[in-house]
Amino acid sequence: MALELKLHTEPEVPLEADCICPDKLQSLKTSAIENLTVLHGNRQVPLKAFFECRGEFDGEIMIEGDLVNVKHIASAMSYGKITISGNVGTHTGAAMRGGEIVIEGNATDWLGAEMLGGRIIVKGNAGHMVGSGYRGSTIGMQGGEIIVHGHVKNETGHVIRRGLIVVGGNTGDFTGVNMCAGTIIVLGEMGLRPGAGMKRGTIICQTKTALLPTFTRSCDYQPIFLRHYFKYLKSMGLAISDSFMRGPFERWCGDSVELNRGEILLYAGKLQ
Amino acid sequence: MSENIRIVENATCTFCGCVCDDMILHVDMDEKRITKAKNACVLGRAWFAEHTIEENAPAAMIDGKKTSVAEAIEAAAQTLVKAKFPIVYGLSDTTCEAQRQAVAITDYIKGTIDTTTSVCHGPSGLAFQGIGESTSTLGEVKNRADLVIYWGGNPAESHPRHFGRYAVTPKGMFTPGGKKDRTVVLVDVRKTKSSPVADILIRPKPGKDFEVLWALRALVKGKRLSSAIEQQTGVPLTVLQDLSDRMKRCRFGVLFFGMGLTMTRGRHFNSGALLALATDLNEFTHFVAKPVRGHGNVTGADNVVSWQTGYPFGVNFSRSYPRFNPGEFTTVDTLANGHADAAMIIASDPASNFPKKAIEHLKNIPIVVLDTKCTETSKDAHVAFRTSTYGINTAGTVYRMDDVPITLRPAFESPFPDDETILIGIKKRVRELMFERHAQDASDATQVAARA
Repeated sequence: MALELKLHTEPEVPLEADCICPDKLQSLKTSAIENLTVLHGNRQVPLKAFFECRGEFDGEIMIEGDLVNVKHIASAMSYGKITISGNVGTHTGAAMRGGEIVIEGNATDWLGAEMLGGRIIVKGNAGHMVGSGYRGSTIGMQGGEIIVHGHVKNETGHVIRRGLIVVGGNTGDFTGVNMCAGTIIVLGEMGLRPGAGMKRGTIICQTKTALLPTFTRSCDYQPIFLRHYFKYLKSMGLAISDSFMRGPFERWCGDSVELNRGEILLYAGKLQ
Repeated sequence: MSENIRIVENATCTFCGCVCDDMILHVDMDEKRITKAKNACVLGRAWFAEHTIEENAPAAMIDGKKTSVAEAIEAAAQTLVKAKFPIVYGLSDTTCEAQRQAVAITDYIKGTIDTTTSVCHGPSGLAFQGIGESTSTLGEVKNRADLVIYWGGNPAESHPRHFGRYAVTPKGMFTPGGKKDRTVVLVDVRKTKSSPVADILIRPKPGKDFEVLWALRALVKGKRLSSAIEQQTGVPLTVLQDLSDRMKRCRFGVLFFGMGLTMTRGRHFNSGALLALATDLNEFTHFVAKPVRGHGNVTGADNVVSWQTGYPFGVNFSRSYPRFNPGEFTTVDTLANGHADAAMIIASDPASNFPKKAIEHLKNIPIVVLDTKCTETSKDAHVAFRTSTYGINTAGTVYRMDDVPITLRPAFESPFPDDETILIGIKKRVRELMFERHAQDASDATQVAARA
């Protein structure tokens, strides 16, 4: 039976609840779980001051309520599953290593920041810095998958090194900025300056986008490997047309001010 | 004018980041005002003339009513200690000594400290972290620079003495001809009062600074670019190529950048692109990049907060150790998101210039204000202190925009206490209240354990 957490009191100031993570609830009884400490602003309070806890933890947590003011849920999580039925606050799944997080509503900034493994699925939109590195860090996401069905804001996949980020809608500016490697797939439109400073890695986009002058067009082609990605994404519930699956794609190389080994693939066919 | 005139030599103007320390002030000691400020620019003259003593103004107020400073300190300390997410903001128009006390208070109350940097050159701060900074003092610029580039700024109006004292016309050790030995380039989207100074004026399309900088980086690295760059940025490829060649050929180049770069779309990436360009150029020659800072001691605020917490602005202490995350702990965000539940504003007026959503929240929480004048923020304050003006009434240390510390020489005394004195009083009381709270928490925990 899964552990159910229900938000009964809206926090007035941000609540840092990094104890809501399977690794920290392992082998704890419900009475012990509800006494775990969370940080309400600058005060330490027990989890039960904000959440009603029901059931026993068996590796799965289900959370109900509008958690937009609750931060750091599932930080550094390494196994298990968390299902959040509403919106969620910043840093959800940051530095996560394994397991799965499903967010039925919207997520805010730093979703899956510096994550190492596992999977995050967002049914709504997400904020800035999805799968990115924190300020000053040169390494962002290093593994795992982030699948956002809606739109995301700026700096998605900033300094990403490995892993997959998929956005069903549009992205903001600087998608994949300074990326070292990894894959970003955008099924909507990208904002300004995608791939700025990228060293390696692949950005795939369904719509044509103006690129920086430091990118050069190398060819049009129909990469087979993309079909495997798209098949997988279709199975995850994302709407991908057959014509997009087939291609062709314009291949742009860049960023020439860096290694010039990154590629941006822009769909060059007509969507049906 | 009375005959009781005092002359203060080598006084410092703290209006802008130039922090010119060659002022000769004539002070009317009877009327307590500065009658003449020799060497000051138009902004400096206004700064010195405007800061007179308003004798009838109360030194402290609680909810708009006059009170004693001691009572106001008690009320301020109570407000900050009670808060769950208190913020401390401002700091760029006060001394480093006062800034230091503000950091200590934030640490005690487990709050969030931020400076006006976050709304001006904050993006440059992020870029310094991400890219690094090739830097120098303005003295080096004066003595050595033969290529001076201003990007996204209008120093003729914002820092009038920057040209004459530091970068364009002064005769230096290796630039004896002054302006004749230098090439001045101005990059701006429009013609300004700074434009006539420039030997080369480049006008990119608005919001295309990043593309121009990126193209220059490519050219400096010897990459080929398409002539379509003109269509994209508004700057012909030949102009960019010429600038790139000049930058590689010069003996000492400097890039001064302003808020035209940091506060337009792309923000820290714009600053980062410029810093990366300076780094690239150091493979060919000596090149430095410096932000042109606005407030008198905003650079000091960055320095003090950095050496006390490890980070320059947007620092949170709620976990008892400093955490830095612009976008989360910067003041506009904490207010606009409705997170802050109390604020202490020091020498700043966010109620006049913050976004509407942030101002609305600011008006709904208790505020403690320290300012030399009555401001929009102090009008709504729960506790308001009237303090003396740094550099005119108060001694101390400030940092020039090139991180050089300069000692202040006050002109005349003020009946109002200085920021540092008030903040020391608040700090002392906050510390006592926090100890009391910790003792109470420990006692409660013992009782709970005994019951269990």
